[in-house]
Amino acid sequence: MNRKLRIYVPLALYGIFLMLPFVWMLITAFKSDQELSQGLNPFWISHFTFSQFSDLLTQTAYAQWFANTLFVSISATVLSVFVSYITAYAIIRLRFPGSEVVSTAIFLAYIVPPAILFIPLASVIIQLHWFDKLWALVPIYATFLVPFCTWLLIGFLKNIPRELEEAARVDGASNLAILWRIIFPIAVPGLISAAIFSFTLSWNEYLYALVFMSSSVNKTVSVGMTSELIRGDTFQWGQLMAGALIGVLPAILVYFFFVEYYVAGLAGSVKE
Amino acid sequence: MIRRPSLAVRLDSPRVLGYLLIVPAAIILLGLLAYPLLLGIWLSLTSATIGNPGQFVGLQNYATIFADPIFRGAAWYSVFYTICAEGGKLVLGLSLALLLNQRFRGYRISRALMLLPWVAPTVLSALAWLWLLDPQFSAVSWLLIRLHLIHSNIDFLGHPWSARMSLIVVNIWRGLPYFAIGYLAGLQSISKDLYEAAAIDGADGWQAFRRITWPLLMPITTILVAFSSIFTLTDFQLIWTITHGGPTDATQVFTTLAYQRAISGGQLGEGAAIAVSPIVIMIVLAFFVVRSVREK
Amino acid sequence: MKHPDRRDFLLSSAAGLGAATLAGSLPVAAFAADSPFKPEKGASLQLLRWTAFVKSDETIWDENTKKFTAATGVPVTIQNLTWNDVTPKAALAAQVGSGPDIVMGWNDDPFVYPDKLIDMTDLVDFMGKAHGGWYDNARSYCYDQDVKRWVSFPIGCTGNAVNYRKGWAKEAGFTEFPKDLDGMLKLARGLKKNGHPTGFALGHAVGDANSWTHWILWGFGGKQANPDNSIAINSTETNNALDYARQLYETMIDGVAGWDDSSNNKAFAAGLIGMTMNGISIWYAEKTADPALFPDFANATPPYGPVKTHTISNNFTSAYVFKYSKYPNAAKEYLRFMLDSPQADRWVTEMLGYVTPALKGYSDLPIWTSNPNITPYRDALAGARYDGFNGKPGKAAAQALDEFVLVDMFADVCVNKMAAKDAMRKAEAKLAAIYKRA
Repeated sequence: MNRKLRIYVPLALYGIFLMLPFVWMLITAFKSDQELSQGLNPFWISHFTFSQFSDLLTQTAYAQWFANTLFVSISATVLSVFVSYITAYAIIRLRFPGSEVVSTAIFLAYIVPPAILFIPLASVIIQLHWFDKLWALVPIYATFLVPFCTWLLIGFLKNIPRELEEAARVDGASNLAILWRIIFPIAVPGLISAAIFSFTLSWNEYLYALVFMSSSVNKTVSVGMTSELIRGDTFQWGQLMAGALIGVLPAILVYFFFVEYYVAGLAGSVKE
Repeated sequence: MIRRPSLAVRLDSPRVLGYLLIVPAAIILLGLLAYPLLLGIWLSLTSATIGNPGQFVGLQNYATIFADPIFRGAAWYSVFYTICAEGGKLVLGLSLALLLNQRFRGYRISRALMLLPWVAPTVLSALAWLWLLDPQFSAVSWLLIRLHLIHSNIDFLGHPWSARMSLIVVNIWRGLPYFAIGYLAGLQSISKDLYEAAAIDGADGWQAFRRITWPLLMPITTILVAFSSIFTLTDFQLIWTITHGGPTDATQVFTTLAYQRAISGGQLGEGAAIAVSPIVIMIVLAFFVVRSVREK
Repeated sequence: MKHPDRRDFLLSSAAGLGAATLAGSLPVAAFAADSPFKPEKGASLQLLRWTAFVKSDETIWDENTKKFTAATGVPVTIQNLTWNDVTPKAALAAQVGSGPDIVMGWNDDPFVYPDKLIDMTDLVDFMGKAHGGWYDNARSYCYDQDVKRWVSFPIGCTGNAVNYRKGWAKEAGFTEFPKDLDGMLKLARGLKKNGHPTGFALGHAVGDANSWTHWILWGFGGKQANPDNSIAINSTETNNALDYARQLYETMIDGVAGWDDSSNNKAFAAGLIGMTMNGISIWYAEKTADPALFPDFANATPPYGPVKTHTISNNFTSAYVFKYSKYPNAAKEYLRFMLDSPQADRWVTEMLGYVTPALKGYSDLPIWTSNPNITPYRDALAGARYDGFNGKPGKAAAQALDEFVLVDMFADVCVNKMAAKDAMRKAEAKLAAIYKRA
């Protein structure tokens, strides 16, 4: 009983703190506009309605935004994890001269925040004729994903015993083969970890998607929702919350299945 | 006669393969990051305005902003915000991880659900918090009043200090899962034998924590805090959406002030200088991360 | 100047609503023929505009755009962004030299990069002559005094008026809304006493905080700068304005210092406040939200202060064309078309006067007098000043507005209980730095 109290009471408190906004968002998403404007009990629905969800899906291009965001997030994740893996491998396993410099330089990536970086970055994007091309967001996102994922994978690969490589080399395997056939399978938890991090950050990104895309067909969920559902001083709160909730679903599904891998991935990267 | 190694073998040598493998990252980072980064730093050394490259003015922008009380206020609050938020996330994240590290009914779904704040798109959860902290419509105030803990709505965002603390709470809310998951991983990598040995020696829970858990978690603490601090120090969307830097500039941070000066006011040089000014802090943080990652 | 053909068309179309067939039957080509702006061959246009505050604005604007394309063969793609996101996009376009042809922006935006924008003098003159001239604000926000030409084409403003509850005002002893600020303060006190406080934003609310603070400041004769751009904020007049604001603040509901632009709408709709200042959106929303209670919601022209003239502050919107555009003539013809009769008549009418056009001719539209609550918005520009008054409109004024210098001065006095002279000195120092930089 004591153990139950020591677990479930704090758990409930954390649960309330972390989940309260989502519970509120959920309730809000099922209220009508009229009920919302009356500002009554925030936790009670007088007239349950699906109208916010149906309006969102039929009157806005939400499905398109969702598909766009999914495409960009998955692609950016695949690209970043792949690039980070081979980079981390090069730095930590092959230990070529200058790898220390490279691993330090990685952190300088975050010095100028996107709130300002987007301006000089725009000149580059324009020159490359990448403006308003949805797939261009993929390499752009990689710029802030690769540094952290590389660090993560460096930490993970560091802990893999060298004996594995030695044994494989004795058997005549090339370094490239070791990278793919020996180390890669062991690194999977770390890779999943990096993938989850990348997916989350890509899914949440706002500023670059706002300034580098212009056609409505290229909008992501965050950009589409703020541009369509915030009309001057009138916020379509019900639809905004409905959209936010739907937007959270893919990540939750991914996390539910992979959270064990995610944890194992991080565990592997910080073992001493 | 010594045969020269074939091309394949030469390509496979650590040095050559190493350089080849980092080419993709190098292209992305040099082309799309280093160049704009340097351009951004260059902007801070010029009198550039929107559409006008201006002239090189050296450190004049920095001199101007350091003399500006609004900038000093923003610098102070950025650091305060970061220290408080990181501290909160560390303590709460660690204790949540300790909680979730145990086996109980529903521990898996708990682990997944607790990630929600970190997973929701920032701009949308910031809007939700805008309503939750509303002086008239806050669901939080409503609950506390119903629980008879307070008797009138809380004015979260209408006074400088309450606005500052509210933003810190929202940042903790959003970042807690990242720390909790990180610590969960760290906890799982600590061998159970150590705890058994300590129990045999008669150590209680708190002593075990102090002498085993915490020291062994130092590496991951360093990493988590360093990276998270960089992101918190340059936080933009959350603050811009909820308070827009107000009331009376009380919640201005580096990025919001930089954005305001550069984009709304057109003062690119000055805005860039504000954005780059926390560089010293960032380098110090990066130094700590690198040191802990270096191979022993 | 009256336009008989336009009035007849509108009067014969059931209060100006649902007049689609009649509008379509008017000869559009006849108007296009005497326009001096001939679109380039093979032209196509990209317009970046702020997401319309009301759906009918967007619907009619899109329909009118299609008519333009049908008449001239010039396709137009419209990108809609929430109004605050237009500024970074436009800034980016100015910086990198590529992007939309036309931007519908706000206030002093065009003065931030005037040398990147084409000369609009010919279009401005043409339309002014055709539609009864321009309100003064048009020049204030579109004529750049540094490069000495029209850099933007004035469209209009989202006007501001005082919104209040008739029943509660009557309770407080006022059957008509007061004509001067003293009367308004009495009404505000009465409302507060009866449990219906007022509410005016004091946070960094881009529209709502700037609107009332500027109006009060100017109403007492205060001003930000002099015509030579020397700083004039530190004065007795400003002191009086701050004093008034402090007293008005005491009649307000809690939390206004944390309000954003949507907060007063929410509070007013929920019956938590009895008086505020806003665009017509706040009144219009009640029609569908609470049809039974709707008649109790009313709007009034903002009262004047000791200067005995109206000093309203509005959000002004104008359209500017970048020099990098390949089709400047097409752009000008598009803007001419959209703001010409009958397109603009229908646009203004169907959105219930959301945007008050900067062209004086459109103040005759029957929509303004169809409901006494819409009339105050017709006069929003007639009684308006511009931000940065009485200095030169331009970069400095733009920056001062974006940095909420005036709003923070009022907030310092009301919320932070700073002495007026200290708040004025603080604002003076900030303005000095801004005006020196610009």
